[in-house]
Amino acid sequence: MKMNWKKFLTLTTILTVLFAAPVYAEDDDSSVLESYNRAMFNFNSAADYYVIKPAAKGYRAITTEFIRERVHNFFGNLKEPASMINHTLQGNIVDSGKSLGRFAINSTLGLLGTFDVAGGWGLKNNATGFDKTLAAWCVPDGPFIVLPILGPSTPRATVGLAADTTADPLYWAGYYAHFGNDLEKYSFYYGLSALGFVSLREEKIEFIDKLTENSVDVYSTIKSAYIQNRLKIGSCASKDTQTADASYDFDFEDDE
Amino acid sequence: MKKFFAIIFSTLLFFNTQANAAVDADKAENFVKSVTQTGIEELINTDVSAAEKKERFTKLFNKDLDLDTIGKNVLGRYWKTATPQQRKEFIDVYRKLNIQTWSERFDDFKGKHFEFIGTEKSNSADQIFVVTQVPMEEGKPASVKWRVKDANGDLRIVDIIIENVSLTLTARSEYTSYIQKSPNGIDGLIKDLKAKLK
Repeated sequence: MKMNWKKFLTLTTILTVLFAAPVYAEDDDSSVLESYNRAMFNFNSAADYYVIKPAAKGYRAITTEFIRERVHNFFGNLKEPASMINHTLQGNIVDSGKSLGRFAINSTLGLLGTFDVAGGWGLKNNATGFDKTLAAWCVPDGPFIVLPILGPSTPRATVGLAADTTADPLYWAGYYAHFGNDLEKYSFYYGLSALGFVSLREEKIEFIDKLTENSVDVYSTIKSAYIQNRLKIGSCASKDTQTADASYDFDFEDDE
Repeated sequence: MKKFFAIIFSTLLFFNTQANAAVDADKAENFVKSVTQTGIEELINTDVSAAEKKERFTKLFNKDLDLDTIGKNVLGRYWKTATPQQRKEFIDVYRKLNIQTWSERFDDFKGKHFEFIGTEKSNSADQIFVVTQVPMEEGKPASVKWRVKDANGDLRIVDIIIENVSLTLTARSEYTSYIQKSPNGIDGLIKDLKAKLK
C-alpha cells in the first residue's frame, strides 16, 4: 500500500487523461456509464444496508452526542492541512493562514482537534480541497460516476479526494509512527478511517432514510442533486460536461 | 393614419407588457420574508402537537406554493401528453408526498433563521429569485433561493433551491427517469407515489 509521489502523480495523470480530457456527451443516460453507475449504486446500497448503516446505528447506540461531536471534530481537524495547501494553490494566502492557525490551535488546545477552540476565537472552518483547486485551474469536472463504497463522484472529485488523502496526517502517521508490524499499522490507518466513515454515515441516517423512503428512483434523485450541487463550485473550464439543464434557472415553460 | 395608430398602439402594448413582466423585487422579498416568518413562528418555535403542526403546514403550503406550476415543471415533457385526470392526480399525490416529507423535518430547523441577501433575475420574465442564507454551526452558511412567480400580482413560490439543488429539477430527474423505464408510464408513477403515502 506504500504509494510514493511518483506513483501518485502517474495515477493522477492517468485518471485525468482518461476521464477529464475528452469532451463528453451532454447526457450519459442509457450509456454504458449509466448502467455501470446503476450497478455500482445497487452494490453500494446493499453494502450500506447490511454493513455500513448497521455500523452507524451501532455507533450511535454506544456513544453520546458529546462523544460523536468530538469524533466529528477530530476528523474535521485532519482535513485542515489539505485545506491549507489547497488555499495556497488557489492563491488564497489569508485563508491558507487561517487553516494553518486552526490546525495549530485545535490540535493542541483543542485536544487533538476534538474541540473547535479556533472556531470560538473567530477562525471559522473554511475547508477546501484539491477538487476545488482543479476547478480553479479550469479542469473540467467530467461525468457523474459512482465509486465503490464511497458513492457519488466525478473524475475531478475522485482525483481531488485521492490528493487530499495524501495531506491527511493519519496517512503520514501510518508511515512514520513505530508499529510492531504491518498488521498494527494497517489496523491503525484503516481502523481510524473506518471510524471516520461510520461517523459521517451516522450524521446522515435520517436524511438518507427519508430520501430513500419517498423516492421512486433513488439513483436519479441522488445523481441530479449531486450534479446540481457540484455546479456551485463553478469552474473556468470552457466546456461544461454536465447536463445543460442542471442549471436551475432554465426556463421550464419552454422545455420541450 | 391607420398605420400610425397601429404603431402607437403596439408600442404602448409592448411597453405595457414589459412593465408587467418584471417582478417587483421588494414585493417578492417581502413575500418570502412573511412566508418564512410565519413558518418559523407557527411550526418551528412552538409547542403544539405534531398533528397540529402538520395541519398548519398544509395550510401554508397550499396557500403559498403554486402546485399547478410546480407539478407541470416536475413532469416536464410528460406534462404535455398527460390527460387532465392524470395531471390532477399527479399534482394531488405530489402535494401530499411533499407535505408528508417536510412535516417530519421541522426539528432540523430549530434555532436557525434566514438572512435576506437580495434578489436575482430569472430567465422567465414573470419569475424572480429571492436569495437567502441560513447560518450553520460550522462552515459557510447554507444558500436557499426561492423562485417566486408573479401571476398578476398574486405571488406564489414555484421552486426552492437549497445549496444549488432545485427541488423541482431533482424531482423532475427522478420522475422522468422513472416514467421512461416504467411500462405503465404516468399511471405507474402515480400509483407508486400513492403507495408511499402513509
